[in-house]
Amino acid sequence: MKQKLLIVNRGEIAIRIIRSAHKLEMSALVFQSDKEPDALYLQYADEIIPAKDGGNDKSIFLDIPRIIQLALEHKVNLIHPGYGFLSENPEFAALCAENGINFIGPSAALIKEMGLKTVAKSMAVKAGLPLVPGSDGPVTNAKAAREFAEKIGFPIILKASAGGGGRGMRIVENPESIERNFKSASDEALAAFGNGDMFIEKYLQNPKHIEFQILGDKHGNVIHLGERECSLQRKHQKIIEEAPSASLTTEKRNEMGDMAIRFAKSIGYFSVGTIEFIMNEDGSYYFMEMNTRIQVEHPVTEMITGVDLIDWQIRVALDQHLTLRQDDIKINGWAIECRVNTEDPQNRFSPQTGFIDKIHFPQNSYTRIETGVVSGSVVTPYFDSMIAKIIVHGKDRGDAIEKTLAALYEFSLIGLKTTVPFCRIVLQHPEFVNAKYTTRWVDQVFTPEMLENEDDEMIGALAATIMYASEYLQLSSDLPTYKHDSLNVWVLNKRLNY
Amino acid sequence: MGTSYIYKRDASRLFIALRENGKRYKIYLPMESAPVINGTEQDINFVEQDDFYYAFDWKDKRFHCELVSHDQNKAVIKVNGVEYKYSLESIFSYIRRGMINNDENKIDANNILAPMPGKIVDIFLSDGDLVNEGEPILTLEAMKMQNEITATCNGVIRKIRIQKGQSVMKDELLVEIQSIDV
Repeated sequence: MKQKLLIVNRGEIAIRIIRSAHKLEMSALVFQSDKEPDALYLQYADEIIPAKDGGNDKSIFLDIPRIIQLALEHKVNLIHPGYGFLSENPEFAALCAENGINFIGPSAALIKEMGLKTVAKSMAVKAGLPLVPGSDGPVTNAKAAREFAEKIGFPIILKASAGGGGRGMRIVENPESIERNFKSASDEALAAFGNGDMFIEKYLQNPKHIEFQILGDKHGNVIHLGERECSLQRKHQKIIEEAPSASLTTEKRNEMGDMAIRFAKSIGYFSVGTIEFIMNEDGSYYFMEMNTRIQVEHPVTEMITGVDLIDWQIRVALDQHLTLRQDDIKINGWAIECRVNTEDPQNRFSPQTGFIDKIHFPQNSYTRIETGVVSGSVVTPYFDSMIAKIIVHGKDRGDAIEKTLAALYEFSLIGLKTTVPFCRIVLQHPEFVNAKYTTRWVDQVFTPEMLENEDDEMIGALAATIMYASEYLQLSSDLPTYKHDSLNVWVLNKRLNY
Repeated sequence: MGTSYIYKRDASRLFIALRENGKRYKIYLPMESAPVINGTEQDINFVEQDDFYYAFDWKDKRFHCELVSHDQNKAVIKVNGVEYKYSLESIFSYIRRGMINNDENKIDANNILAPMPGKIVDIFLSDGDLVNEGEPILTLEAMKMQNEITATCNGVIRKIRIQKGQSVMKDELLVEIQSIDV
């Protein structure tokens, strides 16, 4: 009897997990949400569990009691949560365990600890990981703030300890302005939250996001699979990721990788996980958080290491021993992932919904496509805007950039706007090419005008003119003085010749 | 009439596409040859057509064009995923609205005057035709010599003032031409 693996997710990641399930000779089950009853991933599954929305409008992918109930009814052995949704929900992981279902991920306790940022940070400190320098507790007056800021160095950021949403927050560049800024931020916080206490933290002006992939089993073995750089973000969400990072030397990679392993071992971690660091221009780095799920950008790591992370994630969930040793992990070439989101980069990345009339992906040996859609699919407003990922492998960074760019030019989607034109611009920008880009690139450098170019503009003018002309000439043809012939003679000739 | 002229008489195939940023494309769509854009024939291949969708190949690249919206003479086209907005005019409406060469002195500069007294023996073009710079418009016979009178600019013939067989005096206005060169 085949093991039954239920995927509590949708889109490209559901299809990706089904692939691994089949490789491991398991039967893959998915939910059919009535928010997208014709979704592509359903076609790949061995069994579809219809999950109509009840009276409440809660998506099945977040409805813990129903998931557990349906999983039990269908005699599911394992649950893979994918990313997002319930992938880092400790209650869900715990309930799976209580009901005898193998949750593919770390333990509920680990998910909970890593989900609480202060707990995760204190555990990281215990394992010797550096944190962004900051005040341990609230600073209550301007003088103390100045003294502390001078100790850690400017610029610093003042944050309201009760705060959120940017209120009571100030970036301070120099000692002269700290007392004034402290007072105004503190007053603001007092007015907004009834508490004027402030935290002080070192402010990284141009940080990079570097994360380490780790993989551990339930028997104490942990390895790392190198880093990914995910500095290219919009609205704090990643859009292009690469592996390895041009910002790390081999020594630093080993140092940070060892640190990641040490941390994972110190907390008894197993399954796949990601340890995120923020890196300053001077190369200093600090622990940010740990993600306890498979990540969207895992394919770049797979491309350069040849390790199938989801296979291993499932295998270690089955108590298997990790047979890979750190020495087995070799970094081969360079990989870049571009996320295809149905968003309008000309209009502050606002989401686009509707039909995908036609979608075409590049096909070649060095490009991997992960997609949740095909021509004719519908993008609904209910789920994430990411519909696909284009991952390209090159022999080095330059080669990878060149090949990715070619792949992006080959990609086309008719019907909706996507982030692909944006990615094309990024890949050609000197700051990306020289690997100097930071998490602030979109805010500081990008303008929608960068998406335009003269060739496209001219061809657009031609297309607009042909569309207009076919109407105009048709109208004119009603007048007896115009000899009407179809405009399409040129069109036909060119097509025949083609 | 040499076939090497890019504009082939029919001015109803000449359009102006204007962008909000002021960029202007003068696009001529001949019957059987490649489009002429801003006076240059472009080797653009039309490779696919569907409702509200065209694909072109040019410079070894594919250009996917979608009509996003269309309102009277305004159109938004998405080219390789990026939107561009145009307003479109036929050359006639463009001229009528005075958007081309509205400097009165300049208008006259392209009119054809008789360089010498003589007789019009032939007229090759008609009102409303497109004419290329250097293209013969008429033949003027003077002192038993036939002179081809050619256009001094690319333009639209507004009005032919004379008839075949008519005698003209030096500097008499023969043809009014509206230049389309800007």
